[in-house]
Amino acid sequence: MFIALLGVLLLPLPVDPGILVERRLAEELPASVGDTVIARVLGGTAERAFVVAGIFERAPDPNRIARNDYEVRFHLPDLEQMLPDHDRVDRFAIELRSGADPEATARWVESLAFGTQVYESVTLADRSSTTFRVVSRFHDAIGLVTLLASGIFLLCLMVIRVDGRRPDVRTMRLIGVSRRTIVSAVVAEAVLIAAVASVLGVAMGAVLTFGVNTYFGAYYDTTLRFAILSPRIVVVAASLGVALGLIAGGLAAVRIVRVPPQRLGER
Amino acid sequence: MSRAGRLPDALERGRAASNLADPVEVVIRASGVQKVYGRSSSEEGGVAALRGVDVVVASCEWTAIVGPSGCGKSTLLNVLAGIDAPTAGTVELLGNDLGRLDERARARLRLLRVGFVFQRFHLLPVLTAAENIELPMAEAGVARRDRRQRSRELLDFVGLGGRTDHRPPQLSGGEQQRVAIARAVANQPDVVFADEPTGELDSRTSAQILELFSSLNAHGTTLLTVTHDPEIARRARRVIEMSDGRIVSDGRPAR
Repeated sequence: MFIALLGVLLLPLPVDPGILVERRLAEELPASVGDTVIARVLGGTAERAFVVAGIFERAPDPNRIARNDYEVRFHLPDLEQMLPDHDRVDRFAIELRSGADPEATARWVESLAFGTQVYESVTLADRSSTTFRVVSRFHDAIGLVTLLASGIFLLCLMVIRVDGRRPDVRTMRLIGVSRRTIVSAVVAEAVLIAAVASVLGVAMGAVLTFGVNTYFGAYYDTTLRFAILSPRIVVVAASLGVALGLIAGGLAAVRIVRVPPQRLGER
Repeated sequence: MSRAGRLPDALERGRAASNLADPVEVVIRASGVQKVYGRSSSEEGGVAALRGVDVVVASCEWTAIVGPSGCGKSTLLNVLAGIDAPTAGTVELLGNDLGRLDERARARLRLLRVGFVFQRFHLLPVLTAAENIELPMAEAGVARRDRRQRSRELLDFVGLGGRTDHRPPQLSGGEQQRVAIARAVANQPDVVFADEPTGELDSRTSAQILELFSSLNAHGTTLLTVTHDPEIARRARRVIEMSDGRIVSDGRPAR
């Protein structure tokens, strides 16, 4: 009798299965790791207790940014047990180990059940991001127009600056300073202006990016980055800016050195 | 400053390297020079500023060109200096036929062997006095250290040794003109062209400028000066008088 009682006492107590809860939901409940929560499938009646085993941050997804739904992760057998139709699954994701062949895996999964279709995450991402690609193209177009307008502005600025120096250019030409030297000086100045403007532009872009991400990140309570200032964007914008400076300075310089020096005093 | 300072050694050490023609006794030789402004290059269709000018200027001369406003003095100076091209006639400057030189070669000739002094000084306002003087030397390829040294010597020569780092707006008209003269001789030119160099200055400052010109001429620099100032005409060794685009008299000044 004593032995039997001891055996009962040594048996492990039934422990509720663990689940992972999204941070926003955990904050809303509120719940923390170790808490027990009751879960029920929508439309179902079966309830079950789970222990919060961890809290996770949902992967940022622009497609779901405006949807105020929460995410909970179950172990597959627990989830299956809760579902009304235990053998029915609409979709599921498989994460492959590094080095696994996705094509071969897809073929193998599709062969397991008739009608199953397997897609690589890249394909799904490509399908679901069509809208964002269009938006991205709009952004490219806006960026291009902005750069062109900036280039024209820089050209006007250089023409005005150089025009204001007609007397100086006249003096330099008269005392024998070559056209090449004058062109080089004007182009160097334009490139310097463009380079400084590019640096300021990148700095402003970084500040704005930080501001946009901070504001909308707080607004939608997400880690999604709404604005990105990538190295590629910096390099492309700075290169275009300097190239436009080069062109603007060159055009402004050529315009003025073509005028004979004795006529540079005229307006 | 009542007298010009000592001429810097730099001006007496020989000329800057040049592949242009060698120094010659005749500095300027102009023959049948005409200049017509306007759409047509003929006298009928435009305004004739020069009507067949012949002039020879020898080395070490100080020549003053005088005459009423609009008589063609400045036009002649521009044509002789290679700034402007004549409509007809030929101009030889320091042995170089200007009509055969392209713009680059003319600019090189002006840079290395010709100096200019303008009525309104034409200093670059963003540069200091020393930097203004260094500008033609930098263009001529003079090493930075030599430029610095020579510009300080020249500023001492024109009596502005203490104004090295002053910019033109911080200088008086007379001081600016002295810097302009220092710039004009920075590359040790054979000839200096001056267009109304005292036109914007009072009589006392003009006298100081004339002292500088006298000193330069005494050291072998040929001077060609367009002026209304009778004092310049008096101190020059030769006076060319113009009227209506022609030379009407050419000789020694009345003392």
